Amino acid sequence: MTSSERAVATTENGMSRAILEISGLHHRFVHNGDSRLVLHDLSLAVRRGELVCLIGRSGCGKSTLLKIVAGFLTPAAGECRLDGHLISRPGPDRCVVFQEDALFPWLTVRENIGFGLTGRQWPRVKLDREVERFLDLVGLGEYGEHLPRTLSGGMKQRVALARVLIREPQILLMDEPFGALDAQAREEMQELLLRLVRQRQQTILFVTHDVQEAVVIADRVLLLDPGSGAIREEMQVGLDRPRDRNDVRFHACCARLHQWLRV
Amino acid sequence: MGGRAKNLAVSLLLPLATLLLWFVLSAGGLVPGYLLPSPGKVLVAGQQYIFGATGEGPYAGRFAGDLAASLARVLLGFSLAAVLGIPLGLCAGRLALVNRLVAHAVGGLRAVPGICWLPLAMIWFGIGVRTTVFLVAMAAFFPIYQNALTGAQLVAPIWFQAGAMLGISRLKGIFAILLPAAMPNIITGLRLGMGISWAYLVLGELTGVPDGLGAVIMDARMLGQTDIILVGIILIAIIGRICDRLLVGALRLCFKSARRQL
Repeated sequence: MTSSERAVATTENGMSRAILEISGLHHRFVHNGDSRLVLHDLSLAVRRGELVCLIGRSGCGKSTLLKIVAGFLTPAAGECRLDGHLISRPGPDRCVVFQEDALFPWLTVRENIGFGLTGRQWPRVKLDREVERFLDLVGLGEYGEHLPRTLSGGMKQRVALARVLIREPQILLMDEPFGALDAQAREEMQELLLRLVRQRQQTILFVTHDVQEAVVIADRVLLLDPGSGAIREEMQVGLDRPRDRNDVRFHACCARLHQWLRV
Repeated sequence: MGGRAKNLAVSLLLPLATLLLWFVLSAGGLVPGYLLPSPGKVLVAGQQYIFGATGEGPYAGRFAGDLAASLARVLLGFSLAAVLGIPLGLCAGRLALVNRLVAHAVGGLRAVPGICWLPLAMIWFGIGVRTTVFLVAMAAFFPIYQNALTGAQLVAPIWFQAGAMLGISRLKGIFAILLPAAMPNIITGLRLGMGISWAYLVLGELTGVPDGLGAVIMDARMLGQTDIILVGIILIAIIGRICDRLLVGALRLCFKSARRQL
């Protein structure tokens, strides 16, 4: 059984438990009359509570796929379903943490985190308490009144994480969220993310090109192949958590992913 | 010398140098008094214009009335321009259809120098408040509109995406995202518009209205009172500057997006 056959088998077997189902997705970019195929008959499924990493060389369409799931882009063909519902536009059941700074610069950290709750007719006290809770969860208790421009890159991504977690999305979409951070901050954020999401069984589709990052956080890693525009490889990361970056098996997983990317 | 005092000294350098040059030119007799009266003479004229009792001189004590008339015209014309320019600019900046619809009309009108409207305005509205308000609104509209449009176009798409995924409807997004994000540009447009408002106010008042700072300047010219002309010019400079500061202050007071992004 090849790994791509296995990918399909997992999808079919796990159908009942899958929260995100993508099938037969096609997408092409038209640029100056040039049409380039990015996604070609791509299918994948993410189970409830699962943390799936999508890796691939830059330009392979990982971000495009994420944007389609988020509802920012409409695919040329195929469909995405979340919990059985067809995805057609953005919604708070699918929140994104972007790579670039997407906080509102005219709002304080506290207001940014509470932004997604403004539509709810909650009493002020309840709203404040909820925002305070998430402020503490991401370790920014003292920075509530700060403006985003005064924060470091890592702190900004903490705010970005808090403002989407507070909406309790069905699936969290992360588009190389720690790609712009230095190594130290990146590891801290990976740990924070795992600490926050494991206990709440948060489903995550995480795009990265960092092999180590994928092995540290993922339950399952998928390779998106730029040539065929589909998922070509799949690996279950069977390592115990918390994962030891110096472990031999950890290195073996990384080596395998590196191998994928080289082919 | 502290940094503050130093900054103040630097900012006062140019005004003081101008004053000194003026002294030298007029007191030294290089320029005759009917062309450029001495600072002292202008000061006396200004003092009388502002604080004098009515009847003391041809212009004594008229300032308060002129200021009130001019301010009312500027504010009316400016508000009209802002009320039309900001929403239309934001719409054209976000909706390609609206932009295409108004691009030629607005672009064509803008190519017409504001002064060209004067004859038409006089035919339409006669001599008086309405002509001035029309001219001010016409002139102030374009910078306000253009900057609101640019501001709306420059809003990072990622902010709208973030808003949409956080469950903010398009309508709410106008106030929660579009307006605050475009605020720095809107403010620039309003400040430019306010400056132009004063320019066109004077133009409108030159047409023979009885009161207003522009009317005083024109009146003084016919009577050969160069000192009063200079008083008027200086007062308009000072009031224009104060209006700009007040405008920025008011915006900062009303909008936290102005407070935090300026």
